[in-house]
Amino acid sequence: MAELLQYTITGLAVGMVYALIALGFALIWKSSSVANLALGQLVLISSWFTYGMLVQAKFPYWIGLPLTILFAIFLGWAIERFTLRPLIAQPILALITVTLGIAYFLEGVVTFVWPMSVAALPRMFPQEPIHIGPAVVSQEYLWAAIISLALFGILSLFFKYHKMGIAMRATADDQMAVQACAIPVTSVFSMSWIFACVVAAIGGVLVSSIGGITFGLVETGLKSFSVVILGGLDSFIGCMVAGPIIGLCENFGGGYLTPLIGPGIKDIIPFIIIIIVMIVKPYGLFGETRIERI
Amino acid sequence: MDLPSGTRNYDYARDMAVLRTKTHWAFFIGLFIIVFTAPLYFGNYWLGVFNLIGITIITVTGLNILVGYCGQLSIGHAGFMAVGAYTTGILTGTFGLPFLLGLLCAGLSAGLIGIIFGLPSVRVKGFYLAITTIAAQFIIIWVINHWTSVTGGFVGMDVPRASIGDFTIRVINYLLSAISGLLGVTITPISISGFVFRTEASQYYLIMVVVALCIFLAKNLARGKVGRAFIAVRDNDLAAEVMGINLLYYKLLAFFIGCFFAGIAGALYAHWTGFLNAENFTLTDSILYIGMVIIGGVGTTIGPILGVVVIRLLQQGITFISPFIENAIPALPAGFTTGLGPMVFGLAIILFLILEPRGLAHRWALFKAAYRLWPFSY
Repeated sequence: MAELLQYTITGLAVGMVYALIALGFALIWKSSSVANLALGQLVLISSWFTYGMLVQAKFPYWIGLPLTILFAIFLGWAIERFTLRPLIAQPILALITVTLGIAYFLEGVVTFVWPMSVAALPRMFPQEPIHIGPAVVSQEYLWAAIISLALFGILSLFFKYHKMGIAMRATADDQMAVQACAIPVTSVFSMSWIFACVVAAIGGVLVSSIGGITFGLVETGLKSFSVVILGGLDSFIGCMVAGPIIGLCENFGGGYLTPLIGPGIKDIIPFIIIIIVMIVKPYGLFGETRIERI
Repeated sequence: MDLPSGTRNYDYARDMAVLRTKTHWAFFIGLFIIVFTAPLYFGNYWLGVFNLIGITIITVTGLNILVGYCGQLSIGHAGFMAVGAYTTGILTGTFGLPFLLGLLCAGLSAGLIGIIFGLPSVRVKGFYLAITTIAAQFIIIWVINHWTSVTGGFVGMDVPRASIGDFTIRVINYLLSAISGLLGVTITPISISGFVFRTEASQYYLIMVVVALCIFLAKNLARGKVGRAFIAVRDNDLAAEVMGINLLYYKLLAFFIGCFFAGIAGALYAHWTGFLNAENFTLTDSILYIGMVIIGGVGTTIGPILGVVVIRLLQQGITFISPFIENAIPALPAGFTTGLGPMVFGLAIILFLILEPRGLAHRWALFKAAYRLWPFSY
């Protein structure tokens, strides 16, 4: 029983972080229908940047973390401005593969600047575990979940009330109409990339402050694709719902299947979920089914 | 289409010929001679590089059929290569079956796994398919790493060198001994053994022959009925279906063929290195293969060849200059040049997509057109 509760709480918390990273994907997909496959690398590079700021340059938190956010903003702007803007209205294959190119490039940059490949961020959250009923949960997970939830709240308020948020939702709905209303579509695209990078950076810092910085972070980014796929590509609520589901599946699977199948099953569960969703319900739980005409 | 002036189609056979002019023949024969006499001029190091280039050309040609002709993105081709590599490793290493059978089975098994992971392509496309194939890559590698009794798991497995005739002679000797036991006479068994591809040069010939076969196959596949169906599916799959092209059949066929090539390449890789480990087939490799298709030119036969040769030689160049850069800038942390390769290739993929989305093959075509009209280009 204690085990079950523990897996549930950890799963929900990890799932929230996945959902946060996945939100960054959904943002870009909704506004510009670009599939960002460089998600994992964005997570990776911003974690390393945080490491560079906090450990190598020895900035205190209140300078280092805002600098990371600034870096993410710059990264998002630069990616959109220099790689995706020239490719507007190109075939979908080009749009997907260009993000692969970005992924490859960012991985190279990470190895170039931080060749050590493994590092640990300083602990940002209190260490002592919390007892919830019979379960023992590390506090870090709870903090990660709380921060993710708070960000979700802020972002949904932004989309509901802020002018830019409304413009972004409108662009997602109908690009032509938005252009006719004199909303600069390119700056909306730019904004969505900036948001995605910031969200990925925060997710990255949360994950890597718990588990350290490794190339496994790329896999964390790829795992959040299973969140996107399960929730539906163009749905924010989908991310919110699917994130915890994936987290729970991963942790229950890791907990109960490892003795049966073998170690490492935990890492593969999100990918198996992807395949199952693809075959059963390819547009996800909340995604809009695409109807095509010739 | 882009024939030099004065070349006319007098009959269908000549219309369909790949090599049309005397210059074509001269270039072809020249290339043939250069490729097949290369072991005379190059040392083992460069032959190793060429072998890797050959193996990669096979994979990327397969990927090009899938991505370039049929429009189905696969970011898991290294995984499918691994399937082929381990199939031949198990068949020839564990069960002692002949190399050629292992090669064929490697292609077939990779093709079948490709069909399984290609099934979603019937309902979804684009990004969804990209994610499915990434998932395929991770699942395949996970299975290889954890199915220790068969694949050797994280430790890896040894693969015997490729050999031709060994198995046949063993079978003949076995039969001879059986006959001699039956008849009660002594028959001395055949003492010669089959040919084993031990040296780098012999492996080079083996790989190049397979490469030539694969390119020939791919070229003719793309020109035939199947290739035309693929192109129709790529351009608009709904319209293709309305025109009577069986989408299920052709999409899965594309996956089968693309992964079959990958399996063959994986098998050659296994016999070439003699040792297999899942580390050799990473997602990064899969992305690099996509990059090679893009840089070479999507949907052309010559594209994959150009892309692979350029990228692999670039890799060699970077490995060559890395120590110098490392020495020249001692301020940076040690080992930073390992990031140089991915940076250059990532940048190359991005720049090609933005500046020349039709790849090197298109540049080559432009060059040919300009050269034919030279010096009167009007």
